Amino acid sequence: MQPVISALNLSKTYRRGTEQVHALASVSFEIGAGELVAVVGPSGSGKTTLLNLLGCMDVPTSGDLSIMGHPTRGLSERALTRLRRDQVGFVFQHFGLIPTLTVEENIRLPGLFSGKQVKHRAAELCTRVGLDHRRRHRPHELSGGEMQRVAIARALLNEPHLLLADEPTGNLDSVTGGSIISLLQELTAQGLTVVVVTHNDRLAESAARRLVLEDGRLAPSI
Amino acid sequence: MTRSELAIKNAARRPLRTAVTVSGVAIAIAALFTLLSFQRGYQSGVQGELSRLGAHILVVPKGCPYDAASIALHGARWPCYLKAEYLEQVRTAPGVGTAAPVFMNALYDTAGEQTVYVGVDRDIAGLKRSWRWSGTLPQQEGDLLVGSDIASRRGWALGESIDLPGVPGHRGTVRGLLETTGGADDGFIYMRLADAQRVFEHPGELTHILVRLSDSDRLDQAVMNLRGCSAGLEMNVVPLTHLFKTISNLVSSTRLLMGAIVAIALLLGGAGVSNALLMSVVERTREIGTMRAIGASRPDIFRLFWMEAIQVSAVGGVIGSALAYASSRAVELWLRARLPFAPTDVLLGWEWGVAGGCLVGAILVGSIAGLLPAWRASCLTPIDAMRTQG
Repeated sequence: MQPVISALNLSKTYRRGTEQVHALASVSFEIGAGELVAVVGPSGSGKTTLLNLLGCMDVPTSGDLSIMGHPTRGLSERALTRLRRDQVGFVFQHFGLIPTLTVEENIRLPGLFSGKQVKHRAAELCTRVGLDHRRRHRPHELSGGEMQRVAIARALLNEPHLLLADEPTGNLDSVTGGSIISLLQELTAQGLTVVVVTHNDRLAESAARRLVLEDGRLAPSI
Repeated sequence: MTRSELAIKNAARRPLRTAVTVSGVAIAIAALFTLLSFQRGYQSGVQGELSRLGAHILVVPKGCPYDAASIALHGARWPCYLKAEYLEQVRTAPGVGTAAPVFMNALYDTAGEQTVYVGVDRDIAGLKRSWRWSGTLPQQEGDLLVGSDIASRRGWALGESIDLPGVPGHRGTVRGLLETTGGADDGFIYMRLADAQRVFEHPGELTHILVRLSDSDRLDQAVMNLRGCSAGLEMNVVPLTHLFKTISNLVSSTRLLMGAIVAIALLLGGAGVSNALLMSVVERTREIGTMRAIGASRPDIFRLFWMEAIQVSAVGGVIGSALAYASSRAVELWLRARLPFAPTDVLLGWEWGVAGGCLVGAILVGSIAGLLPAWRASCLTPIDAMRTQG
């Protein structure tokens, strides 16, 4: 079966002033459909850089990356955007909700860019994340857990094959964080591939697989 | 939700800033509306006056031709007079079709209201071809033809015998009621030339002569003929088209100045839109990153900010046009007090064409002003935008 993510010798080097920063060095791995994978490691180990590469938000300095069998090397900005829009969903630690939009409008936002009819899908996702009663509320009227649920629902709108989450429980208390972990597990059980960057041991332990990054290199799998 | 709705919600995020930005555009558009409206109103007003007068040439006593034209058109007391014997020379000058002698006077009654009397002979009907009236033109002593405004204001009816306002001891009979002309004639009282000369004690004198040519294309030749007749040195021969052209040129230079002010105002309005949106781009950088992450392309982000600029400017355009219309009466009064010659017609009125032009202008300003912020927003890479704090 074709892996959802295939990374081969993925490297990323930044220039910070005159200094070269090797954020990732020859990272290789594959992630299959329906896997929940946690990317762990100390701060500055390259976790977020890896997530950005997987989400086509950034391009590797060298190495090859394929998402759902689509090689990303040499793709134009437009093609990367299309790949990101159609195949990937993003969840951020700080939720990234638009404050002027209601819960439902936030969930529908990706549909505005994909041009798809998403009204029913948005309503369905709102129900699925348990926020039916909050549809008309704005982000500032929600709790942290509710905001993260909205962000997850938004990430799922375009029916992606891959969900990338950067510290999804980072801003939540343990009970709320627990409910987000359950939701991610539920989504994985339904066949969605989920990659989370986390410092949360509970979330890391709930993952089927952990990728441990140290100084931009992948440590042997746990 | 559409892109347009999203742009509206973004603009509404900072209501005070948006209101100030909209105000800048609105003021510029109000100035543009006033300028365009004035341009059209003045041109058509002057043309209307010219056609209502029905004459090609005005023969007046020596003096300032602009003052003379203004008095003849709008009605007032004349400071000097022509001898009636000049009329025959004017009538016999080559190229003259009709020459109508006029004696005009303006008097104030006890209530302080001005009444303009115009003494004419039967030739006036040959010039005022657009006139429609009920009853008859003045034919016998004491006969009056009254304008529609003054008749309705004073409640005069056909056949009524009246005291002449401002002329104690003199009476007349309303033999004719002039239908509304839309010009100064609506406020005048017409009487026989001989009656006017007698009542105002200027026998054998005229205030001006209205001349219609048999061939209007030969105006210059006719003017030369009139100036060359033996009475030519005693009177001022004023070709009206030349006069209005001179007045229009004088007003044009004012318009040019106003145009420059409007252009600067539009530039400032556009700069305000641009500045507000550039601030918005900085404030919403992280949000732009989020939108790029969830699938927005560079053109999507460009369109979002560009649309916001256009919306803000369009709202400014609508408010500015409404503002200009609301203040048009006050501005018109102010302008009339300063113009060397102002036609009686409305100078600043609502015109859909002008309003449409202003809206297009506002959208154009927004389109140009929005380019820079939209470009900056769309150039942000998702990764850089996401890294931004705040």
